[in-house]
Amino acid sequence: MWLNQFLILGALLFCIGVYGVLARRNGVMVLMSIELILNSVNINLVAFGAFNGTPVGQVFALFVIAVAAAEVGVGLAIVLLIYRNRTSIDLDAADLLKG
Amino acid sequence: MSLLASLAAQAAQPVTPVTSVLVETPSVDWWGLLPLILLAAPAMVLLHASSLLRRVFRGFYATASVGIAGTAAAFAIVQWFRVTDLDGGRGPYTTVASAYTVDGYSVFITVVLCVAVIVSSLVADGYLRREGLDGAETYALLLLSASGGVVMASANDLIVLFLGLEVLSIPVYVLAASHLRRSASQEAGFKYFILGAFASAFFLYGIALVYGATGSTNLGTIRQTLQDDPFVDGGALLLAGAAFLLVGFGFKVAAVPFHAWTPDVYQGAPSPVVSYMASGVKAAGFAGLVRVFDVTLAGQVRDWQPIVVGLAVLTLLGGSVLAVAQTDVKRMLAYSSISHAGFLLVGVAVASPEGAAAVLFYLAAYGLMIGGTFAVVTAVAGPGEQATGIDAFRGLGRRQPMLALGFTVLLFAQTGVPLTSGFFAKFGVIKAAVDGGWYWLAAVAMLSAVVGAFVYLRLVVAMFMVEDIDPHHGDGDVVAATPAPVAMPAALTLALAATVVATLVVGFLPGLLTDLAGDAVPVVLATLP
Amino acid sequence: MVAQNIFFGIIAFVMVVAALRVVTTKNIVHAALYLVIVLAGVAAQFILTGAEFVGVTQILVYIGAVVVLFLFGIMLTRARIGREVEVDNEKRWLAGLVALVLFAVMSFALVDAFEDSRIESVSGGTPQLTSEVSDAIFKDYLIPFEAASFLLLAALIGAIVVARRE
Repeated sequence: MWLNQFLILGALLFCIGVYGVLARRNGVMVLMSIELILNSVNINLVAFGAFNGTPVGQVFALFVIAVAAAEVGVGLAIVLLIYRNRTSIDLDAADLLKG
Repeated sequence: MSLLASLAAQAAQPVTPVTSVLVETPSVDWWGLLPLILLAAPAMVLLHASSLLRRVFRGFYATASVGIAGTAAAFAIVQWFRVTDLDGGRGPYTTVASAYTVDGYSVFITVVLCVAVIVSSLVADGYLRREGLDGAETYALLLLSASGGVVMASANDLIVLFLGLEVLSIPVYVLAASHLRRSASQEAGFKYFILGAFASAFFLYGIALVYGATGSTNLGTIRQTLQDDPFVDGGALLLAGAAFLLVGFGFKVAAVPFHAWTPDVYQGAPSPVVSYMASGVKAAGFAGLVRVFDVTLAGQVRDWQPIVVGLAVLTLLGGSVLAVAQTDVKRMLAYSSISHAGFLLVGVAVASPEGAAAVLFYLAAYGLMIGGTFAVVTAVAGPGEQATGIDAFRGLGRRQPMLALGFTVLLFAQTGVPLTSGFFAKFGVIKAAVDGGWYWLAAVAMLSAVVGAFVYLRLVVAMFMVEDIDPHHGDGDVVAATPAPVAMPAALTLALAATVVATLVVGFLPGLLTDLAGDAVPVVLATLP
Repeated sequence: MVAQNIFFGIIAFVMVVAALRVVTTKNIVHAALYLVIVLAGVAAQFILTGAEFVGVTQILVYIGAVVVLFLFGIMLTRARIGREVEVDNEKRWLAGLVALVLFAVMSFALVDAFEDSRIESVSGGTPQLTSEVSDAIFKDYLIPFEAASFLLLAALIGAIVVARRE
């Protein structure tokens, strides 16, 4: 297996994720796109780790998974809080702060 | 042998019972980790105490938080003498498998973060009671966030840096959204969270690419690898990685064009939290920026310097020009904090020890001024933070002269008026730029300072020179002729007084702080073989 | 070797298609379910590179916890389960352009750096053992490990602070 086949796959997922973050209005969907980016990072890390023959890549990937879980937990808690007060999770409708 | 086959072979092997496995744990220098432990562990104790103690006296949690941060700062100061005194002390060193650096730089930032927590806690005390949100969580989250900042400032490994960044950020996302009844606060928290998570994802991708290009995540090893072989075969890859890292840092420190979240978040989030964001989060972000770019990638300076200089120019001009157009004080301070980030970026961009020292001085001075500034904003804005328009400050000079005077000192310091700490902060950065031969960059910085001065002067004029609002002059709504006096809780007054005094003392005797900042050299140490 | 590359190709194709659906579908529940396919694909790629522990963790944490959290979030906020009209904003084409340029730059950098390096040629084809990973965590990466525990603590406190009812 080439190293680059994993890296290009990672790059593709990364760019799809970036597109999602920029193009979505719904907060939860943006969060999903961010998960895509984090997964692309993990593919890169594990592939580099296998390439270098060290466990560092895998160790880092495990930390990234932990961080992603923590972020999603906090993010969805904030989404719930907003929903309770306003019944909308549309990022563009969140316009109290415009102007 | 294919990997799948080897996996299958592994699975087929009979399981041999393992009686005991000995893992050689790395040596830990507990003394070096003490400030960090003193921030994080008592935060947990504070939370437990809040659930076990039925009744506590008013202001107990704020007092505890100030005490905790103060103790951590005191131990950091003791450490300072060990790591900066090269004759008697032991000098900078790394510990726990060279993942954690203890050097003058990290100790300095630790103290700055502790001071940021102390000021924010003092301001938060009255704020939380006023808004009916008192509890231990705010303080525990502040302390946890500061411990993340300490980890970030001390990181000698990209993994540690990243985890520090996350421990720093996640509590602040929550704190920004923590006003349960103001939807502006929750939206601010969500916006900050989404953009922060996006930025961390970029940051992570950058780390992955740098790791791929250099084969290590340890800053010392990366530096060594790049010194031995400046043309690593992943030259373009390394630069792409550095660019992604820069985007991540840019979001955290609010550099233009990654600043879009700043005004909304500053306006919506509770003021004591904004105070911490502007002082603590910014300090930790710049600490990481300096360590990664100025020290680790010092050999690649010609590649990244133009980009950082470009960011600095955009941030300087964008921040101060946009600040002029604002009528809401919190938004105005948000844009002005962006332009301060521009000055700090100039210090990073010149990539010299003087630049790094100027950044430290600036962070310490700015942290104090902005802490005091948001103390005033918290008080003036009143319940629910309704009054954050510039109108709320009209005539304050006549109604509450002491408050207005203190605020004026802080605003002058942000302008960069001589005899305040802000003057020497800006002076240090500009001098570092001139010494490095960046004359035009220094000129841009001065231009930004002049444009920015208008913003602060407008507030001062509103306080002292504009008549009280005329009830017949308002746009339709009849406003009370004399607004209720601004309530000043004791803790908030203490924070304001302390920051004003510190700003003036550093303004009169800048040598105190410049010498310290000059001694706090950031280092990255390679892994010992 | 050939078998692995074929597996890789199939899984990668499915992942990319599913990822594209995650960011384009108008149905939020479908987006979450497509995300499951991508995450499972990532786990499969981990196992292909010999990182079986990370692969299993990926399944347990991501598919087992994160996606469930997403689905709970969607249901608790009573988002419409069917098609939603406006889930994308108007800057979609700009976003697509940014993503394409980014991909072009990155694939250039990657191809430039690694050309046709093979994973097996360096590490000798031996996958990293899970025991090596655990040793690394408790030796070289003790500080990040502790930091991660504080991160989870902070997230726990934070989620409770935000989501509790007064």
